[in-house]
Amino acid sequence: MSALALAERALSCVRAGDGALATVAAERSLLLRFARSRPTQATAVDDATMSITVLWDGHVGSAATNREDEESLTACARAAEAAAESAARTRGSGPYPGFPSAAPVKPHDGFDAATAELDPAVGGRALASAFDVGAAHGVEAHGVWSVGDVETALATTTGTAVVDRVSDAFMKTTCIASDGRSGWANRTSVRVGDLDPTAVAEAAATRATGAFAKRRDLVKLEPGDYRVVLAPAAIAEMLDWLALGAFNGLAHAEGRGALVGRIGTRVAAASINLSDSPRYPRTLPRAFDAEGVAKAPLPLIQDGVAINVAHDTRSAALIDGATSTGHALSAGGSSWGAMPTNMVVVGGGASDETELCAPIERGVYVTRLWYTNAIRPNETLITGVTRDGTFLIEDGEIAAPLEDLRLTDSVLRVLERTEALTGDHVLWSEGEFYGRRFARGTVAPAVRSTLRFSGGA
Amino acid sequence: MESAAAGGAYADVRFMRQRSEFIGTRNGEVDELHRDEDEGIGVRVRVGGAWGFAATRDTSKRGAEAALARALAIARAQPRAQATELAPEPVARGEHRAGEGTDPFEVPLERKLERLLAADAALGNDRRLNLRQAHYGAYARDTIFASTEGALYDQRVVDTGGGLAATAVDGDKVQARSFPGSHRGDTMQAGYEHFDAMPLVGQAPRLAEEAIALLSAAACPSTTTTLVLDGEQLALQVHESVGHAVELDRVLGSEASYAGISWVPPDAIGKLRYGSELMNVTADATSPGGLGSYRWDDEGVEGRAVPIVREGVLRGFLAGRESAALIGLERSTGCMRADGFARQPIVRMTNVNLEPGDAGSVEDLIAATDHGIYMETNKSWSIDQRRLHFQFGTEIAWQIEGGRRTRMLRNPTYAGVTPQFWAGLDAVCSRPAWKLWGILNCGKGEPGQSMRVSHGAAPARFRNVQVGIA
Repeated sequence: MSALALAERALSCVRAGDGALATVAAERSLLLRFARSRPTQATAVDDATMSITVLWDGHVGSAATNREDEESLTACARAAEAAAESAARTRGSGPYPGFPSAAPVKPHDGFDAATAELDPAVGGRALASAFDVGAAHGVEAHGVWSVGDVETALATTTGTAVVDRVSDAFMKTTCIASDGRSGWANRTSVRVGDLDPTAVAEAAATRATGAFAKRRDLVKLEPGDYRVVLAPAAIAEMLDWLALGAFNGLAHAEGRGALVGRIGTRVAAASINLSDSPRYPRTLPRAFDAEGVAKAPLPLIQDGVAINVAHDTRSAALIDGATSTGHALSAGGSSWGAMPTNMVVVGGGASDETELCAPIERGVYVTRLWYTNAIRPNETLITGVTRDGTFLIEDGEIAAPLEDLRLTDSVLRVLERTEALTGDHVLWSEGEFYGRRFARGTVAPAVRSTLRFSGGA
Repeated sequence: MESAAAGGAYADVRFMRQRSEFIGTRNGEVDELHRDEDEGIGVRVRVGGAWGFAATRDTSKRGAEAALARALAIARAQPRAQATELAPEPVARGEHRAGEGTDPFEVPLERKLERLLAADAALGNDRRLNLRQAHYGAYARDTIFASTEGALYDQRVVDTGGGLAATAVDGDKVQARSFPGSHRGDTMQAGYEHFDAMPLVGQAPRLAEEAIALLSAAACPSTTTTLVLDGEQLALQVHESVGHAVELDRVLGSEASYAGISWVPPDAIGKLRYGSELMNVTADATSPGGLGSYRWDDEGVEGRAVPIVREGVLRGFLAGRESAALIGLERSTGCMRADGFARQPIVRMTNVNLEPGDAGSVEDLIAATDHGIYMETNKSWSIDQRRLHFQFGTEIAWQIEGGRRTRMLRNPTYAGVTPQFWAGLDAVCSRPAWKLWGILNCGKGEPGQSMRVSHGAAPARFRNVQVGIA
């Protein structure tokens, strides 16, 4: 049975309430892990989640199962009905305005059949390449290679019946030298053929050995504000916190967001142009959100000015005149809010990271961040540490490896102080895949700005 | 298992069925209300030195055999590696049921909703309270495990919990208070009674008052001082700076790709000074009510109490059968756990507990502190990949002067280096002040796995801590 037919069958199991939405998310995936240049764990998943959300007098209740037999789907529908009806009986009329009306969705190029074959032999060769590169550089290779095929179908009583099938491929390599220094690189794409395991491993190994630095001695930097070159992975991770704390429509509507009172004002350097672009050629495309609303480009910051926040049906209902922008994370609206998942930062005029380093007398080159966390989301104030390749910039050149540093700074402040961006931008993804696989990422260039380091790491 | 054994491979299979229910209210309205369930089997095989794992929701014999075939194919497709030993383990056989009390899934939804809405309403309607939240959660996990070594067990655990949170906003200032803790309240391996007994309505006015008061409270000073931590924050401190650091897979470098490594070397048992002599830590899979409590782990190893730190010296690791064998331990410590059927087991925390001391209650401890800061309820957390340099924040703090709490402090943060921080431990409150705190979403592994764990902790005091970072 097709995913859409299954979604429609689940929908047909609903017998009560004022409306319903059924989703099928079917995942097939393979992930191979390696550590110390040997394979460790490998995980193949073949699973699907059928979710039913029922509307009852302005309240929604949901239930989910991974069994698709009639009895299980019926039980799921009864549970969703009972949940929604319970809320209505206990609370009276609720605020949810209803599921969106049907609207066409645009196709995209987010599926690759070769990737969907999930061939372990391709993964095995990728691991072997990483091990060979590690051996050549005298370092140990750690990382993952993963491919996924996820088909999502959604049907509603308001006439929506849509399907989206996407593939993703991800490879990450961390190389660790005998002196303990490490380097990291990753690559993600719709197509497994776009991954070059050797190139990823070479980049990681080069950062671990610091071969491109002028000298090898490890330098320790005192806390303070420094001019920095942030590689795409580093700035992209920071932007994720903007998705939660600034572009989150629910936080905005509840007065907790970082852009409250600031829409239409300058919040970043004029060179910053950031949007949510679900069909951008380098992103991991999506056709619709968790409520079936078609994905469409949404400018977020233009020429440094805050333009929009992301909404789902629930958060939009809290603001007069607002409508869903197609950013629902769950049917009925997630308690976490509505957030962009296909952010793209337009590149600038710098040819590469070397050019970004050129005007820096003493600063830091950051390849990636780790364990970032919000301290005060409404100020976009985060903390985190650098990891796997942090370097001192001296007199415009990468001079020496640095001991890792802790940063404590506001993401919007970093964007305000952005001086330059590379023209090229790349897709960065965490590749963590908790729960049902949802591959997402941010396309970002490298950036020169100023960052506050609060200590060592 | 017969098929796997015939193929000369070690194999184990887990059938898991998981159910969860979550209810949340928000500003007097029902915010979330959902019930999830899934089930399937995960087959893990080892061929030579390579592991393969395949999961499927098709629980028929055909589905299981297809998963086995897939797992074998995956294992064989990887580059060859030398096989490692698995520490021997008595074969697990039997049944186990945990989470005593009323089945939370049998309690009517209306009863739970009424309780949550009452707590939500008890937070009051001060215009500065932008967000009132009450929540409840229940989780049930059924596992049937078998292996080519003859293991066969059937195990069920139930966890229940909930809590309350108030967020106050004034212009660009946002402050929050939570009860009993900030990580979805407090959850324990228990029946519905655990949630039902929570004094949510009784605590609500205090939460609201404190959230509002924090808006105009003094900022936490930037200084080095004596720090007293409440049990909830200390639980997170233990989690991040002890629990993760002693996971043997990361100590051995297996987790460098994601979760990281450890500052603790693999030969450190009996040699490494982790903290002061008051530091005693036990990883105990038998702690009553702990989210990390079970009879057998997901590798068929019996859970038990394992000393991790005694009088400040490292005494053990959290390990599985493979990692235990790699450093010559006689047995696994029973810490292999999997997040559902579609993930394979990896080394995880159980209940990693800081044992109580003799410093009395938190009021006694504060009274015995001449000058310092008392911090309560976790708000933010970040630590490096070696589990060495950390920075944490709490929702609220108070200055301590002359043995008394004086002014309230907003945006409290503190930072440290793990062994230096724990070396500054000079007082731990007594058993009556000790409690198991649940953490619902410990993340690790690739693909990512979320795990529920607990940490027992009583308030404690640390000297010479840097506070007021941000």
